[in-house]
Amino acid sequence: MKLADKFTLWFLAIILLVTPISMFTTLSNIRYRIDNSEIERLKAVNNEVAEQLKAGIAPDQYSQGRPIAIQKIDGILPKEKVQVQKQKCDSTASVTDECRITVSSYYTINGVNYQVSSYNYVTQSNQILKGMILTAILKTLLIALAVLLTVRVVSKKILSPFNQTLKSIQKFSIKKKQALRLTATNTKEFQELNQFLKKMTDKAVTEYSQVKEFSENASHELQTPLAVLRSKLELLTETDIQQNQASLIADMQNAIEKLSRINHSLLLLTKLENQEFEATTAINFTKQTTELLTIYEDRITIKELKVTQLIEPNITVSINAALADMLFDNLLSNAIRHNVKNGSIFLEINQQGILIKNTGPEPVFPTEELFQRFKKSNQCSNSVGLGLAIVKRICELNNFDIQYIYEQGYHIVSVRFGSPAAATSAQANKVTTEEAGNKIVTLE
Amino acid sequence: MKILVVEDNRELASSIYDYLAGENYICELAFAANEAREKLLFFTYDCIILDLMLPDGNGLELLDFIKAERINGFILIISAKGALDDKIKGLEEGADDYLTKPFHLPELHARLRAIHRRKNLNGNNIVSFNEITLNTNTFELKIHGKELDATRKEFELLLYFLVNKNRVLSRQAIANHLWGDYTDNLSNVDFVYQHVKNLRKKINSAGGDDYIDTIYGLGYKFNTNKGLH
Repeated sequence: MKLADKFTLWFLAIILLVTPISMFTTLSNIRYRIDNSEIERLKAVNNEVAEQLKAGIAPDQYSQGRPIAIQKIDGILPKEKVQVQKQKCDSTASVTDECRITVSSYYTINGVNYQVSSYNYVTQSNQILKGMILTAILKTLLIALAVLLTVRVVSKKILSPFNQTLKSIQKFSIKKKQALRLTATNTKEFQELNQFLKKMTDKAVTEYSQVKEFSENASHELQTPLAVLRSKLELLTETDIQQNQASLIADMQNAIEKLSRINHSLLLLTKLENQEFEATTAINFTKQTTELLTIYEDRITIKELKVTQLIEPNITVSINAALADMLFDNLLSNAIRHNVKNGSIFLEINQQGILIKNTGPEPVFPTEELFQRFKKSNQCSNSVGLGLAIVKRICELNNFDIQYIYEQGYHIVSVRFGSPAAATSAQANKVTTEEAGNKIVTLE
Repeated sequence: MKILVVEDNRELASSIYDYLAGENYICELAFAANEAREKLLFFTYDCIILDLMLPDGNGLELLDFIKAERINGFILIISAKGALDDKIKGLEEGADDYLTKPFHLPELHARLRAIHRRKNLNGNNIVSFNEITLNTNTFELKIHGKELDATRKEFELLLYFLVNKNRVLSRQAIANHLWGDYTDNLSNVDFVYQHVKNLRKKINSAGGDDYIDTIYGLGYKFNTNKGLH
């Protein structure tokens, strides 16, 4: 619900609540005034009659248009010299009834006690109410209409700095390393909001670049000592060494190799997390994959693998070229590495996605877990265990849907290319597959 | 060949110095950009090995300086930054090749020689040793003047051996040379072993000497003394 609508609703509720209350007070006030003025007048009439009696003039039946009744009283006078009586004046009286106010005054004139009464009819509450209600409804409607219109128009004006701020935040990207620019406003709350946002985003930008710089620098800084180690070991192998020393050096070289691979992969993952591979272009995926297949050709031959290819010509995928290369490189090298001698690789690539199927030993973990970092099906193997983590990250960045299953001796990895429009449905698909994955785990 | 090594890490610079001196290159070291500038103005070099991150400036600035002063010599960048963008930038700025740290010394040497062949020799792209002749343009391999049918990888492997004669080449170094960026995810030891085995077999059957030694668990060496026996 829009802020303006909320304000409107509240205003309307307040109006609806206040109007009856104000009507009630107005009504009772008017009632009181009318009654009181009539009572005062009747009192005055009574007093006049009493004056006439005193003067010995026989009073008329009517005085000033009000009927008068004069009575001699034998007993003592009541305590209150003036008594007021109201008949059919409350709301229970029907509309046709008339409200009658009778004022009785008591006098002692020339030693005789008199009761002088006069009465008059006044307008009934119900009738006043009837007249008021119409005005009240009209007034309420007018106010409501005014509120509706004003809130629409004024809120647009008042909230415009807020809306602009909102737009700026939506456009703000921490990756662009650009400070948030906000328009000036004279509303205190918006000033505070803008100040806070500015401070927060500035801090986020600096911290983001610091973290990014740190992780990249850390990886880069490691490269030089690694280069020193590697080169020194290479020089050491040139010296006169014994066989046992040679095997020690070989072990060290293997460790350095692995270290440098881990470092390289971690750096890559950091860059992926930082979304540094944003520039996506429509690339010819067929060309890219066939080129990569040629690079791996000799190794496929050496391992005596049978490769079946079903690659459609001119597949176009919108992805960063370097990422496309990494994605397919990781998938293909995994299929080669986790294969058996004389095994086979089945490769199907079309506009919808990649399906890569290869023979290989059964994985120790559920296949979904192999997407985690440093998770390897064979813990003592030479691999780093980051390949599939990288693959998964690349897929997530491009809204591709990836699945990995092991079935009847085959490792099957399928990647569905999602078009930007189908990205959301791909997301939904992913959730269902994850749920399915979870179910399998719980069954086990 | 006279080489200037611009590298702020003294240990790495000395490693490069040792290796290249062993190949009979005249090698000089500069540990900072200013030092390098001075040396470049006073002496001439055939090759400049350039680190990009220097304590007193960026290697790319030095590259601009070399261009501005019209200093001769080819340039090989060695950098810890291995992203494609960095490589492209370095090459666009006028470097002849780009090598990512941590590199193998034989790889550095092979790259130097490759640039040298490309740039300096007038159409001479023949690398030969005794009965072995390699044409780096046509990828022809000849033993005793007779052409040998070798795969591209076998050719590259033999060239690598010939450039780094009498050096122990570790399996990792060979794998890295043969497959470059596409070595990371495979256990390359077996593949290297197969390639070396096939190459030896082919040279042997063509009547060539077996110069390639296996060095314990370390790797292989092209032993030039072997042919003499």
